[in-house]
Amino acid sequence: MILARRAGAPRDARSADPRRRTFWALALPPALALAVLLVAPLLFMAALSVRTDLSGTLLAPFAPTLKHYAQFLATPGFIRSLGISTLTALGVAAAATALAYPLAYFLAFRAGRRAAFYLVLLLVPFWTSYLLRVMAWKLMLGGEGAINSVLMWTGIVDEPISALLYNRGAVVVTLVYVWIPFAALPILAALGRVDVRLHDAAADLYATPFQQFRRVTLPLSLPGVIAAFLMVFIPTVGEYVTPLLVGGTSGTMYGNIIQDFFTRAANWPYGSALAMVMLAGTLVLVAVGLRLVSPRRLLDR
Amino acid sequence: MHSWRSRFAIRGAIGLVVVSAMVGACGGGTATEVPPGEQTGSLTVLDWSGYDAEDFWADFKATYPNVDVAFEFGISDADIYGKMKAGSQADIFHPYTGWLQFYVDEGLVAEIDTSKLTNWDAVPDSFKAIGQFDGKQYFIPWDWGFTSILYRTDKVEGEIDSWSALMDEAYDGHISMWDDGPAAVTVSSYIHGYDETAITEDQLAAIKQEWTDQASLNIAYWAAESDLVPLMQSGDAWVAYAWQGAYATLLGEGVPVAYADPKEGRNSWVGVYGISAASENHDLALKFLDQKLGELTGNNLVSLYYYGSANGDVMAGITDETLKEAFSVDDPSILENTNFTPNLTAEQRDAWTAMWAEVKASQ
Amino acid sequence: MPVGRRPRRRLLGGYFWLVVALLYLPIAILFVFSINANNTLSFPLEGFTLAWYERLFETPALLRAVRNSLGVAIWSSLAATALGAMVAILLSRFEFRGKGALTGLAVMPLIVPYVVLGVALLVLFRAFGVPLSLVTVGLAHTIVALPYTTLIILARLVGSDAQLEEASMDLGASYPATLRLVVLPIAAPALLSAWVTAFTVSFDEFALALFLAGREPTFPVYLYGQLRFATTLPVLIATAVLLMLSTLTLILVTERIRRR
Repeated sequence: MILARRAGAPRDARSADPRRRTFWALALPPALALAVLLVAPLLFMAALSVRTDLSGTLLAPFAPTLKHYAQFLATPGFIRSLGISTLTALGVAAAATALAYPLAYFLAFRAGRRAAFYLVLLLVPFWTSYLLRVMAWKLMLGGEGAINSVLMWTGIVDEPISALLYNRGAVVVTLVYVWIPFAALPILAALGRVDVRLHDAAADLYATPFQQFRRVTLPLSLPGVIAAFLMVFIPTVGEYVTPLLVGGTSGTMYGNIIQDFFTRAANWPYGSALAMVMLAGTLVLVAVGLRLVSPRRLLDR
Repeated sequence: MHSWRSRFAIRGAIGLVVVSAMVGACGGGTATEVPPGEQTGSLTVLDWSGYDAEDFWADFKATYPNVDVAFEFGISDADIYGKMKAGSQADIFHPYTGWLQFYVDEGLVAEIDTSKLTNWDAVPDSFKAIGQFDGKQYFIPWDWGFTSILYRTDKVEGEIDSWSALMDEAYDGHISMWDDGPAAVTVSSYIHGYDETAITEDQLAAIKQEWTDQASLNIAYWAAESDLVPLMQSGDAWVAYAWQGAYATLLGEGVPVAYADPKEGRNSWVGVYGISAASENHDLALKFLDQKLGELTGNNLVSLYYYGSANGDVMAGITDETLKEAFSVDDPSILENTNFTPNLTAEQRDAWTAMWAEVKASQ
Repeated sequence: MPVGRRPRRRLLGGYFWLVVALLYLPIAILFVFSINANNTLSFPLEGFTLAWYERLFETPALLRAVRNSLGVAIWSSLAATALGAMVAILLSRFEFRGKGALTGLAVMPLIVPYVVLGVALLVLFRAFGVPLSLVTVGLAHTIVALPYTTLIILARLVGSDAQLEEASMDLGASYPATLRLVVLPIAAPALLSAWVTAFTVSFDEFALALFLAGREPTFPVYLYGQLRFATTLPVLIATAVLLMLSTLTLILVTERIRRR
């Protein structure tokens, strides 16, 4: 492997490592930001989840209770919803990553100097309000929308297809559609590590394009693929906006349930408990998944 | 960054303190009060999105042009209640019937001295009562409306005359219910004659089953009128639980709709304004509430956004035919056959919203 | 050059442009409605008009909301990119005890529902007397964009380039200088991707902005508020389309300049 690390080179932050000062300069700002803006809220959320209800002063001491967790376990509908949402998220992540890979490949090896331009071109639509874009889609997909009108007019169907919108399928398709450009980014970043001369070298050694891809490009891009998968999977478990807009009644996801307990029920403790369960479950799943895929792939040791 | 603004606020606050002290010393005379045109200060209002439009506080803007009013937003009653609990800086907030008891119980709302309100007499007594708890006035009624069934007359045969239309399989795939647990309980209570204020566990279980079966009849739930209007306009929804704002909007767009008069009676809700117990601008906030009841504001509310005004004079002065139809101004018997939303207890709120969450999750 | 490449180039290119077309289709629809007299998003079209764009510029609240969103997005995306780069460098170039924890924490904002984060930050900010403002929104946006920037930059930095850094330090450069002169230029495309992603995450973000914005709304919050009363829809669509067209023009012009 021509890219192997030099043996014996010091790589950790022992006292002999001249990069120690830089280490702390690099570590402190993110640590501070995470502590204040993430860890503190998480602790608050955990505290909320064992609180009986919202009555009384919010930051005063209270007697903790596990009743919300118990109620979750006693509600098969919620457990089922979490399971379905997780599976949906896995499917969306897999599809989005797979469909994004050719995009990333195109940008990395075929777009040449226009790659940055094409990349921004892909992302710019997302600066338009998602609400408005989905409204426009619904105009196309609804019972009396453009697609159904064309189908009816040409006689292909007698009645409008209602399956295009307001069901779980619509949620999945919309989510994949929305995630593809984003999933392409980590893959593209990883493909940037591939020296194009490797492709030529492979060709010189009589590798077919497919072999070249399988043995050179794909392995090098794997950290990007994993990053993309995680980037799509993790937030999709708790997704609520898309199910709300296009899911109808059957497309409700776990994220909607959490959202509702906060914004429709003022039952923050119960909502926090549900969120904690989702958090723990997703973290476990990700940890297990990373270990299975390859313990060291992500950080490429 | 905005030091001039805080200087104004300080000046305004000092001014108020001085004036209050002087007024207190003089025994409540108004001779030393700052004239409205020169009144300064700032107010923060926690309101529903869209109500920050100047149309909705036009009287206050005209009378107190130098007071700075800013808005924070909430997207539902639960959201507004949560924000008030979290310690919102808002001086004034805008909840609706059903959710009012919590603010009183949690000490989040201040008592209001109605003798200081110049527009109070224009408010009908039944509306005044909505903001009263234990004989004290905590809230000012401001906007109100009906809830009933809205339906497409070109898609639905005959007239709809009962809330059970929302459960009717004849409209499978074309119903739209409001995404709200307490509302679902209310509808079931109307249909089966339950007492809304005393729903038993068995009744709640039956209600849950009923709405679980109903869920698949919906094309989608709606959360805000801006969701409902396109659904009905596109013909995806034929029958919906709706407020009369959507009715008036669709009529205005030329969509053939009718607003039912169910035999169980329509539901009516009232929006109120309250002053935060933590507010440091109580007197200024009171002036804001007073001006909210003004005629210009009321007329804007009615004509621009199709909600009823708590100002009786405004309602009596409506001339637009579409609006008269929407408010049933010419048919006072409708108001007599209307059920006002009672206030929830915390237990009911938690139980009914959890029930609804389970209904949604079961699909 | 192996023969198999040419058809695949067309296929890949075609696929790319198909995705682009699908992404822009709803925007084309919005554009059509922004120049039509319709009050709602429904057919038939009621005649050409530029009135919505006129009214857009006459609505100061709308323009202020857009300006607020731009400000928050620019600052939070810069902060998120900087922090993400730091985390990516730490994770790919150093060994230390809290490494797993840092990885988990950097990625965790992806799992935490925005409504929970918003509520928690709201309570905490208020408890410490921090007034709500665009700054509080920006802080929240920074932390939720951090996983994206970290993952993108990390995907680029893992592994091999450490050799170049070691060479640089062997030649006498300090580590900060190495970072500046060796690592960052190599990672530049990933940094751009990360920044654009963070900007995108912030610009259309609604849930956190609703909780933490205080008196000045961002554009998504403003839009949602206006949607409540359907009559303002066309102006909002015109705003969205105008933003889109300006951005497209900007990047097209930048591309033209670069090509020269």
